[in-house]
Amino acid sequence: MSTFESTVEVIDPIGLHARPASQIVKAVKESGFTVQIGRKGENLVKANSPLMLMALKIKTGETLAVTVETEDEAAASALVAQIQDFLKG
Amino acid sequence: MSSVLAGLGVGLNAVVAEVFQVAPAAALPAWSKSSSGTASESAVLKTAISSVAADLDRLGAKSDETTAEIFEALKYLLEDESLFDMAVNHLDDGWSAAAGYGMAVNEFAEMLAGDAAFEERIADLQDISKRVQASIAGIHVGLELPATGAFVIVGEDFSPADTAQFTPAVVGVITVKGGPTSHTAIICRSRSIPAVVSVAGADHIPAGTSVLVDPVGDRVVVGGSIADATQALTFADTGREPLVQVRANIGSLEDAEAASKTGAVGVGLFRTELLYLNENSQPSVERQRDLYASILAAAPAGPITVRTIDAGSDKPVPFLNMPEEENPALGVRGYRLIQDHRSFIEDQLKGLEAARVATGREIWVMAPMISTVSEASEFSALARSIGSFKVGIMVETPSIAALLPDLAGIVDFVSVGTNDLSQYLFAADRMNPSLGALLNPWQPGLIRTLERIASQAKAAGIYSSVCGESASDPAFAVLLAGLGFDSVSASRSQVDAVRAALSAVDDDQAKALAKEVLAAKSAEDTKSAAVAALSAL
Repeated sequence: MSTFESTVEVIDPIGLHARPASQIVKAVKESGFTVQIGRKGENLVKANSPLMLMALKIKTGETLAVTVETEDEAAASALVAQIQDFLKG
Repeated sequence: MSSVLAGLGVGLNAVVAEVFQVAPAAALPAWSKSSSGTASESAVLKTAISSVAADLDRLGAKSDETTAEIFEALKYLLEDESLFDMAVNHLDDGWSAAAGYGMAVNEFAEMLAGDAAFEERIADLQDISKRVQASIAGIHVGLELPATGAFVIVGEDFSPADTAQFTPAVVGVITVKGGPTSHTAIICRSRSIPAVVSVAGADHIPAGTSVLVDPVGDRVVVGGSIADATQALTFADTGREPLVQVRANIGSLEDAEAASKTGAVGVGLFRTELLYLNENSQPSVERQRDLYASILAAAPAGPITVRTIDAGSDKPVPFLNMPEEENPALGVRGYRLIQDHRSFIEDQLKGLEAARVATGREIWVMAPMISTVSEASEFSALARSIGSFKVGIMVETPSIAALLPDLAGIVDFVSVGTNDLSQYLFAADRMNPSLGALLNPWQPGLIRTLERIASQAKAAGIYSSVCGESASDPAFAVLLAGLGFDSVSASRSQVDAVRAALSAVDDDQAKALAKEVLAAKSAEDTKSAAVAALSAL
């Protein structure tokens, strides 16, 4: 299986707080994909836990790496677009 | 028979109803090891989580949309996969299901700590942890409130999940703990439920007793009738200008715009730290100039008093790298940050000076957490070397409050932050829900300190102002004018109410009121003296 890699930007003025974290986890679970999120160059965390995402303490203006394990590039890029949407605040 | 219990009132309306005592939940059993093994304990934990999830669903189903969202958010935390995995690690070490879950929650709470955005989530997590542990122990924690009738509910304090369950039968609220800014107080204020918080002894009022909840009187009268309720003060519109200038407190562009729609003359406190809490690197002078210029341009006409950054390890600014401290309120905060971050404070003043030039506004700058005259002189010299400002300091520490005469010729003005001054004067942590009564601004210890600050400032030729929460209370604002302060600064929603009160009195009346208040010997007596004087106008 190959890995689809992309980035998203945190625009929400409070950063990656509880609500977007829960929205992301919900969308990821519904997609059935294995997704990892985190700061570029640092360890990514599995996006199946809102608490792990919140514990990254990501602030407004940060760019995040997102990886999706799948062959289906279109579905992966749709999921990333959805994640970006949740981070608009 | 009627007896009176003192507390801190929330809201303006009184109510009489029967007391409904919310029994404190039984204590949770201490954490212990288990010999039944991970498989069996993790099954126990799974069952408990499902049962709490079902409870939350049930609560969500019978509440309105906003409240249902609170329960849904709690459910997300409850069912978090990483939280469960972490709990299972502890089960592998031989801990029981309740202990493992409690430990895992504490670990996450620690990871999220130190970030203001997550403080409420930590409280939610601990609430969830309590529910899961109680479910395992077979202890009932749910709040069972009557759905019909009319009751004053009495409890130690109420969590967000508790207040979300308030039924229409809850017509009044009394808490034993919690201050004027507790979650309970905020919810009761927004839902217009009469409440009195921080009422010692309220847990001993027998259920079924009729009580008067009298928020304006800061009291609960057992057996009292609605006719005994203290009336909220109203002030006739005299069309006069207020006795002293009323300024507004702001922290953002939105505040500045809203404040300019009130009668405020300028800004008495511009809290600048909000602008930096989301910045990952130190913003350039140009960026700060642009940020400040937009806010200065929107602020109400008059001088704008800007407080330099007031951050500390409890409200950290990401790019200042503040190490954790045992005691953040007594730590490296406010102006003390200059030890390690001189360039940041200089850049902030440079950004402000550029914004002053760009907007043509009159700017006063002041530094927070000053405790010696040499800190005041150092800040004054620094600010004057950077811009054309009036320069002042906050008076929040008891030490600088004792040194006002020595500030002559060093600062142009002082502004008293009564919230922090109370905290340091009474050695009472603002975050501690058991100490609300000591932080009541009507405490004679605070009022007499304020009297000394105002009179010594006047003698030293220093302009004096009060920008703490207390100045947003119209009666207290009249007291401050009577004590000799030159202006007060109120939260934007209170500016017009404070203006009305200060327009209804003349100088002699305010001074007479201050004299009565200074003679009183308890927080109850100082407030009743002020209310009596204002009612007699």
